Amino acid sequence: MTAKRLISVTVNGVRQVREVEPRRLLSDFLREDLNLTGTHVGCEHGVCGACTVLINGRASRSCLTFAVQCDGAEVTTTEGLTPAEGLNPIQQAFHESHALQCGFCTPGFIVTAHAFLKENPAPSEAEIRSALSGNLCRCTGYQNIITAVKQVAEGGRQP
Amino acid sequence: MTLTSDKVTRQRYIGAAVPRKEDYRFLTGQGQYIDDLSVRGMTHACFVRSPHAHALIRAIRTEKALALPGVIAVATGKELAELTNKARVALEGCLPMEMATLPLTKVRFVGDPVACVVAIDRYIAEDAAELVEVEYEPLRAVTEMQAAAALNAPLVDDALPTNLVADQSFSYGEVERAFAEADLVVEAEFRQHRQTHAPMEPRGVLAVWDNGRKELTFHNGAQVPHPLRTNLASRLRLSENQVRVVSPDVGGGFGQKIPLYREELTVAALAIKLNRPIKWIEDRAENLLAANMAREDWVRTQAAVKKDGTILGLRAELWTDFGAYALYPPNYMIRVVGMILPGPYRIQNYAYNLKASITNKCPAGPMRAPMAIATWVTEGTIDKVAEKLGLDPVEVRRKNMLTLEEQPYDMATGYRYEALTLRESLDHALEQFGYEQFRQEQAEARAQGRFLGLGIASVVEPNTYGSAWYRSAGIPGTGHEAATVKIEPSGVVNVMVGIMSNGQGYETTIAQAVADGLGTTPDNVQVRLGDTHVAPYGMGTRGARGAAAGAGVAYLAAVDLRAKVLRLAAHLWQVPVEMVEVRDNQVLVVGGHSLGLAELARIAYLDPLELPPGMEPGLELHKTYDPPPLTFSNATHLCAVEVDAGTGMVRIPRYLIVEDAGTLINPTVVDGQIQGAAAMGISGVLLEQVVYDETGQNLTGTFADYLLLSAAEAPAFEIHHLQTPSPNTPAGIKGMAEGGVMGAIAAVCLGVQDALRPIGAVVDAQPLSPSRILGLIRKHRETR
Repeated sequence: MTAKRLISVTVNGVRQVREVEPRRLLSDFLREDLNLTGTHVGCEHGVCGACTVLINGRASRSCLTFAVQCDGAEVTTTEGLTPAEGLNPIQQAFHESHALQCGFCTPGFIVTAHAFLKENPAPSEAEIRSALSGNLCRCTGYQNIITAVKQVAEGGRQP
Repeated sequence: MTLTSDKVTRQRYIGAAVPRKEDYRFLTGQGQYIDDLSVRGMTHACFVRSPHAHALIRAIRTEKALALPGVIAVATGKELAELTNKARVALEGCLPMEMATLPLTKVRFVGDPVACVVAIDRYIAEDAAELVEVEYEPLRAVTEMQAAAALNAPLVDDALPTNLVADQSFSYGEVERAFAEADLVVEAEFRQHRQTHAPMEPRGVLAVWDNGRKELTFHNGAQVPHPLRTNLASRLRLSENQVRVVSPDVGGGFGQKIPLYREELTVAALAIKLNRPIKWIEDRAENLLAANMAREDWVRTQAAVKKDGTILGLRAELWTDFGAYALYPPNYMIRVVGMILPGPYRIQNYAYNLKASITNKCPAGPMRAPMAIATWVTEGTIDKVAEKLGLDPVEVRRKNMLTLEEQPYDMATGYRYEALTLRESLDHALEQFGYEQFRQEQAEARAQGRFLGLGIASVVEPNTYGSAWYRSAGIPGTGHEAATVKIEPSGVVNVMVGIMSNGQGYETTIAQAVADGLGTTPDNVQVRLGDTHVAPYGMGTRGARGAAAGAGVAYLAAVDLRAKVLRLAAHLWQVPVEMVEVRDNQVLVVGGHSLGLAELARIAYLDPLELPPGMEPGLELHKTYDPPPLTFSNATHLCAVEVDAGTGMVRIPRYLIVEDAGTLINPTVVDGQIQGAAAMGISGVLLEQVVYDETGQNLTGTFADYLLLSAAEAPAFEIHHLQTPSPNTPAGIKGMAEGGVMGAIAAVCLGVQDALRPIGAVVDAQPLSPSRILGLIRKHRETR
């Protein structure tokens, strides 16, 4: 253990000033300190993608990031992408396409898809598959997830 | 059996692609999984695990760990033995095995838990675990099942005389005669590698002891909450009404979350002893080292055949590697493989021997399709017969395959096939696929030196497993399921069932079944699962029993409750009950009146003097249902593969499935189950493998080593349905959700075998990793 550091992170548009240990993972900071449990931890070594959040708009692994590294940064979690009422277009497409089963990996996929479609609003299927290949799902076999992302892109809906 | 209470023929919601009710909370990050729960005063557990595959525990020193600020306790096997009872697993034909809560004298595999640290937070608990000093005396390890059975092998369990814990033979019909009359005996071998379930959410528990009431609440991502409660109470020496199991949302189970694990029991025992809530969340390394594993089986078959391809008889020799401890009887799952090997074929002369070894590896348990190797073995044997006789593999299948007209058909091993469309499914699949055209394309590809192949797999998926199955297999379990359906005073419906969702969408499909059974709408029905204080005692989620047993019993309960609704309405209107019906929350009488279900419910609860004589107030019904010994569904998988001879990579350009799961409750959910199961099978064949070295070190402790299928490789499955209702289940539902794994393992392996046939390669072992395939290609090119 080392002395705690004071950090200021803007999470889902709200400035959070907290004292954290330097070794505290961003995923633990979000889940434990801020109670944002929509970010899931599936492997703690950066492979499964369940913990994906946006750091300054870029999809990032919160399990491989220390909270102190986000001092001054803007972090967006799955909660931050969710409208007050209803679903965002990606969430809606996942629902309509049956692109989730147990739901554990789902927030990570939605954050990843959001960042990807912002960057590439009209992707090919190969590009979609490649973009999603850093997120693991054990239930669906991915087919419906790919369909859902395609549907958002083809519908021209803003993620 | 006949379902006398089932008079409902009209189905509005069973069969409809109703969008899932549970999606909203998952999509918005508001699902509540085990690690999302917290309670006041919660502490955190971390386990100290063995770095050795096999070693004596000489001493455990905990002083340094206990001295770390924030550490509350460190417990070892000795303390746990005082707090808990041992587990004992026994099944006919198998040596009984005992398991302490934490090991007392020796560790048996890498990852075996030896001590538990409890601290005020997870970081401190992990720090303290590193300060626990365990003195080991390493022993020689045994890591291979056939070597483990040798007389001079080190003993994994010192209480047993051998590591070969089961060795059983079964014979049906006239096997000797069949082999004596054969034109040819064809042999084939199949080795399947060790895999693990890898649910995206690892295991976890939050144990809360209420010292005032002397009650334990055990929050646990579980598949079978009630049997878990019974087991937990017994191991903790509590009475069953002192224990409540509450399963929150579960991030995938696939069989891994069925048993009571030693870590979970330890946490519960310490929560009581310390009178502090304790949470334990497994990390992925622990999950890949020490949660159950599966599938490590080896099978050799001998088929007695006539020159025309008729199979006269079959012999099989089966082995399974059960790992270091028995959380299940070690002969249990391999026995199911033995029972179902005849598969879709007319084979009455059949004998098999099974052997189960224990080894210094992580314990084994059921994983989605515990009998997964079976289809590969059966269909691989058929392909070998075709190859040896120079016949078309489809013709050999057709010659031996059971037709609908031959059913009901009692298989050699004693189970009854009924309403299985084996031939129809195969023919439909071949037609949709364009079989003849594919063979032409294959011939052209081969002429160009390309390795193109087709795997054909006819799956007979046993599922649901009623109590009669457990009795006949000698297993002390039952297969019944329970449901309570309540129409509340305002007309809304609550349904409680003993099964527990791990992602299967039960909150939707059970609501659909109840809506039709009762005459309401799915959105008027809330399904509540997983809390043993709320749900009736059921056998939980396993063996693809959710639909036929889970939704089935809820449907039957709803049908019975509907009868009460109709009796009440008939009394109110003074008409014969036949003149009344209920549909979409409206109670209607022929030729006129109607009444909302809400008004009727109000009368039933709040105006009991209006009820007919003898009718009890309220609208609540509890029912149990014991399904047939097995329900079977069937499917045909056709998998085209192309092997890249340069890289050894296997590509799947086309994958077609014809599925007959009887009445589908929700076709969208069923397709999702098929896709997920087939993807798991493909992932297992091509990518996944738990690797132990010769000293028993596990070399695949991360997802960078234990590879899972990703969106980049996943094929698109083309799914077609036949729907032949089961005559023996509520609404004609058959189970499904495991057959996809069986079919995919077989279809991919046999596709690769077909692709490599021109060079004479024998594909008799998985995984079909690039290195194995390149090895096969190199070997056969050199020998030619």
